[in-house]
Amino acid sequence: MNLLDPIGDRADRSRAARPVMTNASSTDRELVGRVASGDRAALRLLFMRHHARVYRFVARQTGSDMVADDIANEVFLELWRQAPAFEGRSEVSTWLLGIARFKALSSLRKRKEDWIDDEAAAAVPDGADTPEVTAMKEDKGAALRRFVDALPREHRVVVDLAYYHGKSVTEIGEVLEIPVATVKTRMFYARKKLGEALKAAGYDRGWP
Amino acid sequence: MSYDGDMSEAGKMSRRDEMEALLPFYLNGTLDGAELADLEAWLATDPTAAAALEEAEAEFSGTIASNEAVRPPADAFARFAKQLDAETGRERKASSSAPSVVTRLWNGFRAVPASFAWAAAAALLAFVVVQQVAAPNSGPGFEVAGAENDLAKLPFALVKFKPDARMADVVTFMGNNGLKIASGPTVDGIFRIAIATTTGAEYDRLFALIAAQPFTETALGGRKPVDG
Repeated sequence: MNLLDPIGDRADRSRAARPVMTNASSTDRELVGRVASGDRAALRLLFMRHHARVYRFVARQTGSDMVADDIANEVFLELWRQAPAFEGRSEVSTWLLGIARFKALSSLRKRKEDWIDDEAAAAVPDGADTPEVTAMKEDKGAALRRFVDALPREHRVVVDLAYYHGKSVTEIGEVLEIPVATVKTRMFYARKKLGEALKAAGYDRGWP
Repeated sequence: MSYDGDMSEAGKMSRRDEMEALLPFYLNGTLDGAELADLEAWLATDPTAAAALEEAEAEFSGTIASNEAVRPPADAFARFAKQLDAETGRERKASSSAPSVVTRLWNGFRAVPASFAWAAAAALLAFVVVQQVAAPNSGPGFEVAGAENDLAKLPFALVKFKPDARMADVVTFMGNNGLKIASGPTVDGIFRIAIATTTGAEYDRLFALIAAQPFTETALGGRKPVDG
């Protein structure tokens, strides 16, 4: 990190990474327009661009590869069906993630009895090392990955959408259908929990 | 305690807490306007901000690694294409004006596994080349449909190739034995292979040869010539 230029370096990085109206996002919209007129090649391109992220989003929401596989395909079938109704008010990727979330939640509700809630699962003693003890045996990066995975679903999805999917506060609000203030609050508590877990595992952290 | 939060709860955050909540959006490049200015001012003036940014960067890396550890299936598109065909493929084909044989074959390739799609693509190319050679005077206006009709009259076998069939093997084999793809693949990956012979014995020989190839998964006999 360049401490001699704390603003310039970071601001450049922020601006360079900003995905607002990139070429990819504008061509995504064009592709949806082509899909609306029955162009399967355009659908294939959108599938190749977005399937992995949609699949991962659903897999991490539902905890099931099989469900993720089914739902990811359903999302792209919906794209095929709904393309004529797409108004382009959001990024195509945000639209797809919104569809994916809706389908994932529907699936979870249908299979409610088959699922153990994240927090309930975390409360079940299994005789193995506690997360903190396990974390002591691995490096900080690996520990952090495990702690991210262990976050309650409502917090993890906000973290995933920001860090992995590159979504803004507003876009996360659109995908999850929650106010932007709630997005920020969830992010705050998610990061606080990560900090507490790291601290308990013996890693120094300035906050919380 | 509920972590769901609302406007009032967000309003109770200290400035530092607000900045901590915004750091991920600063890193992913989506922060702008007054929030970006606030965050940059905080980074410039708070001596602990650099450490906070480093923590957020570590979370960024960790979250990406966690997500990328989830591996989508390699054949996802092939299976999606089958679902799409099942839902709308036939309707669209029926409602559109008659597409060329090349278009039909190319569209059909989306229903076969990716590894085999290359082999099928090569076979399609060979088919087109063979037709063009067979009709050298047809020029740019060359009619595939006419050639297709000729192929349709020939004896044939129905063949499904193995998913890992190699393009070069299929093309070489077909070229060496005068075989041509008449149509296909179907949604199940089956091709109709035209066998240009007038004798039953030669048909049997070529059919046995097709069935014995290592890249052939299934071969079914079709219309066979009647000797004499």
